[in-house]
Amino acid sequence: MDTSGKEKEAMQLMAEADKKVKSSGSFLGGMFGGSHHKVEDACEMYARAANMFKMAKNWTAAGNAFCQGARLHMQLQNKLDSATSFVDAGNAYKKADPQEAINCINAAIDIYTDMGRFTIAAKHHITIAEVYESELVDIEKAIAHYEQAADYYKGEESNSSANKCLLKVGHYSAQLEQYPKAIEIYEQVATNTMDNPLLKYNAKEYFFKASLCHFIVDELNAKVLLSLLMYEEMFPAFADSRECKLLKKLLDAHEEQNCEAFTEAVKEFDSISRLDQWLTTMLLRIKKTIQGDAGDLK
Amino acid sequence: MSSDFEAYEQDFGTLTAEITNKIGRIPKLGGEEKTQLVLNVDKQLEEVRELMEQMDLEVRELPIQSRGMYQSRLKSYKGEMDKLEKDFKRSRIAYSDEVRNELLGEDAGSSESQRAHLLDNTEKLERSSRRLDAGYQIAVETEQVGQEILANLHTDREKIQRSRDRLRETDANLGKSSRILTGMLRRKAAIHFLLIHWKRVWLHSFVHFPVPLRRHSQTMSGEKEIQRAPPQKSVGSREGSEVLNTSKFRPFPSVLAEFLFPRAGILTM
Repeated sequence: MDTSGKEKEAMQLMAEADKKVKSSGSFLGGMFGGSHHKVEDACEMYARAANMFKMAKNWTAAGNAFCQGARLHMQLQNKLDSATSFVDAGNAYKKADPQEAINCINAAIDIYTDMGRFTIAAKHHITIAEVYESELVDIEKAIAHYEQAADYYKGEESNSSANKCLLKVGHYSAQLEQYPKAIEIYEQVATNTMDNPLLKYNAKEYFFKASLCHFIVDELNAKVLLSLLMYEEMFPAFADSRECKLLKKLLDAHEEQNCEAFTEAVKEFDSISRLDQWLTTMLLRIKKTIQGDAGDLK
Repeated sequence: MSSDFEAYEQDFGTLTAEITNKIGRIPKLGGEEKTQLVLNVDKQLEEVRELMEQMDLEVRELPIQSRGMYQSRLKSYKGEMDKLEKDFKRSRIAYSDEVRNELLGEDAGSSESQRAHLLDNTEKLERSSRRLDAGYQIAVETEQVGQEILANLHTDREKIQRSRDRLRETDANLGKSSRILTGMLRRKAAIHFLLIHWKRVWLHSFVHFPVPLRRHSQTMSGEKEIQRAPPQKSVGSREGSEVLNTSKFRPFPSVLAEFLFPRAGILTM
């Protein structure tokens, strides 16, 4: 088949490139023009070999080839080329071995931050975080990477992208029950978006999520009510929204420890706009506390 | 005497029973039968009235002691008769269901059709409210989609702004590099020229070319004019160029030096 032929070619190229590297090494660190020339050739060959592996869908070998090429570039002090090769390696490994991919991309990020290209470093942080989210389900590390990405974006004054990352951080930290952090993040994002005419329609959603988190943190209604009032003051349109009404109903139901009213209010809201997974989880936690309290009383 | 009365009473009883029966039947019938029955009942009522009169006479002939009882009975019979007459009158004008049906020509379902009508209406209302709900849902979804789109637009806007700024920077850098390159080309041409025609240049330096002064000399004191100064090509000899510039015409080499190293001229002057 065509692909196996490509693989063989690729293996050949790799072998050749290896030879070149070794031969250049034997020049005792090399005379100026000659060895560099060879090493550059070797880099190119590594890249070609990796592409052929990709065609043959042999992702680990492709990633390997890219990595080696990247290291050679580092030797030649071609930081940019090296970083791009590392990124390519990471992409190839993503399909086969996530951990290796993360290593490669981390190396690339280091190079970029060294050069001062924070935007692209932030983008790669997000990639890594996504890998952690989906394949190696390690939410803590994902949060860490998203935070880093958000910081870099803030530094580069691209607030929209920063907000996007922050939202994810808030999302996951609330899932992991780090509520104060989540509350802070949502409030921050909401206040930022309020000023922007493009984004202010999103603000009410963020306020809603923030108040839900408040709710979970302490079911003492005082704080939740206070926060609600504060949000309404800051953002009058919030008061009219269905979300606000739902919150008030939930508060009442919680005060009366009335599980049914709670469920009913939630069902009513759901009938109009579906509750997504995060919201359902949060609401379920609140409901459990109600039931738990009722159980204690009994 | 009382036996007559009792006989009258019995007759009265039977007659009233018959009349009641017939009155009950009158509304259901119609047409000829009805008129016959009506006539019958009329006759019977007449008989009943006659009976009543006779009973009255009888009672009057009685002795006063036993009159009371019979009088009370008489009164009740009278009441009954009045009632019968009223019923009779009412029955003649009463409508029964059958007559109505004959007129309107349908089975007894008008009330049911009303029920069906009501059910229909309720269903229509429910359908419309369901449709409204669905419409509201769609509106809310649209709003959410709109929010996402707006957020994306904002991100893209920032990206575009950044790229534009970078582009301007790159443009400026390119301009600088192009200027440097042209400078390099010039210098290369000049050195080239010098290298090839150095003899000629050296010879010419002993003849002053009427090259106009580019800068006013600052040390225009009447010091000696050194006319045959050796060609100055290096930048380092500041004194040389100063001395040279005291003359009215500047020798070619200094011009060349200035051409080659324009900034050095600034330093020396």
